[in-house]
Amino acid sequence: MLPRLRRFARGLTGSAVEADDLVQAACERALSRAHQFQEGTRFDSWMFRIVQTIWIDQLRSRDIRREEAEEEGVNVGTDEPGRRAEARLALQEVRSALAQLPAEQRAALLLVTVDGLSYKEAAEAADVPVGTIMSRLARARTALLAKLEAGGGLRRSTQDAKAE
Amino acid sequence: MPRPSDERLIAYLDGELEESERDAVADALERDAELRERGAALSESAVLLRSAFDEVLHEPLPERLIRAARGESGAVTDLAAARQKRWKRVLGDRRFWLGTAAAASLAAFAVGFGIGGGDVGLADAILAAYAPHSAEQAADSFPDNLAGYYRRYVNMGPNDGTTFDKLPQNFHLPNLKPWGLAFQGARFLMVEGQPAMALMYTTDNKALGPVLVVVANSPHADKGTDFYHRGDINVLRWRHHGHAYAIAGTASINYLWNIHNDLAYQFDTI
Repeated sequence: MLPRLRRFARGLTGSAVEADDLVQAACERALSRAHQFQEGTRFDSWMFRIVQTIWIDQLRSRDIRREEAEEEGVNVGTDEPGRRAEARLALQEVRSALAQLPAEQRAALLLVTVDGLSYKEAAEAADVPVGTIMSRLARARTALLAKLEAGGGLRRSTQDAKAE
Repeated sequence: MPRPSDERLIAYLDGELEESERDAVADALERDAELRERGAALSESAVLLRSAFDEVLHEPLPERLIRAARGESGAVTDLAAARQKRWKRVLGDRRFWLGTAAAASLAAFAVGFGIGGGDVGLADAILAAYAPHSAEQAADSFPDNLAGYYRRYVNMGPNDGTTFDKLPQNFHLPNLKPWGLAFQGARFLMVEGQPAMALMYTTDNKALGPVLVVVANSPHADKGTDFYHRGDINVLRWRHHGHAYAIAGTASINYLWNIHNDLAYQFDTI
C-alpha cells in the first residue's frame, strides 16, 4: 500500500519530498479516523481518497509554488547510452506533461491509468460519480497525448526503439 | 456508424465497456485506420505514463513513512510547516529571519497526536503490502505496460514504423516455428529501468493471435512464473539468472504456458 500511495502522491505533487509529506499526513489521518472506514469498502480507495483530500486542501489553502527544484534533472550525460538517455527524456516529458494537467484530471489519470483501478474504484477514491471519472479521464488522456505529441515525447519513445 | 468518441475509445482500451459497446468499438477499429492509429497512440502514452512512475514502487521506503503507518509519528504532519522547514533549509543563513519564523510556526503547528497504540488493524493494512514480495505483486505495473505494448503492436501491425528487424549480433532469437509463430520484428524498451527487447511473433491463426516475448536484464533474484490477466490479454512473467522474461498474448493460458516452457528451455540453453 505505501509504495502505491507514494506513487500516487508523487504524481499529484510532482515532488518526492512533498509526496512523502502527503503520504505521512494521510497515514496519520487514517489512523486517527479509523472509525470512519466502512467495512466492506476498499481500503486502498479510502487511502487514495485521504491522500487526495489532503492534497486538495493544501492546494486551496495556499498558492502552489515549487520551493525546491525537485524534479530530477534529465541525465543525458555522455556516459549514459544514447538509447537509455532518450528513454529517460521521454519519461521526464511525461511527468512534465502530467504536471500541467488540472488537479482532478491528474488524479483520475493516476488512479486509473497508473494504479490500474477500475473506473468504479477510482470514482470511489475520488468521491465522484463514475461518469465524472470517465470524462475527466478522457480529457486527461487526450490532453496528455496532445502534449506528448507536441513535445516529441511519443516520437522519442518510438525512435528509442529504432536506435541501435 | 459514427466514429467512437475519445471517451468511448479510451474506455474500450481500459476494458471498461459493456460487451455490445466493446464489439462496436472493435468493429470501428477494424474498419478505420485513423482510429487505430489514435488508439495506438493513446495506448503508447498510457504505457509511458505508467513507466514514468514505475521507479517509485521500487524505491526503499523512508523510515518516517513506516513509522507514520505504524502510528509512531508522535505528531500530526502539517504540510505547510514541513514546507516552511525545507524552505528554511534552502535559504540557509542568508535569510535567518525567515528561518526563525518558519521554526516558530513549525512549533506552533506541531500538535500532540496522542495516538497511543493507534489502530493496529489499520496500521497493518497500510503496511500489509510492504513486504517486498507482496509489494511487487500488488503494485507492479509491468503487466499493464506489457498489455499496452501488445495492444499497440496488434492495433498498428508491423508497419507502424516502430518495429525493426535488426537484432544485436549476440542475440539468439528464440525459434517458435513449432508453435506456428513466425518472428515479425523487435523493438527496444525500458523495463523497470533496464533495457529490454520485445519480440513480436505472428501467426495466421487468429485464435492463437500474435505473441509478444520480452527479454530484459534484471538485478532481481530468480522468481517462478506469475500469471496476469489484463482485459483479453494473458501475461506470463518469470525471472531466471539475471534476466526477466515475459510473454503476452490473447491465446489461452495453456497455449502460452507451453510456449513459456519451450522459451524457458531455449533461453536456458542459450
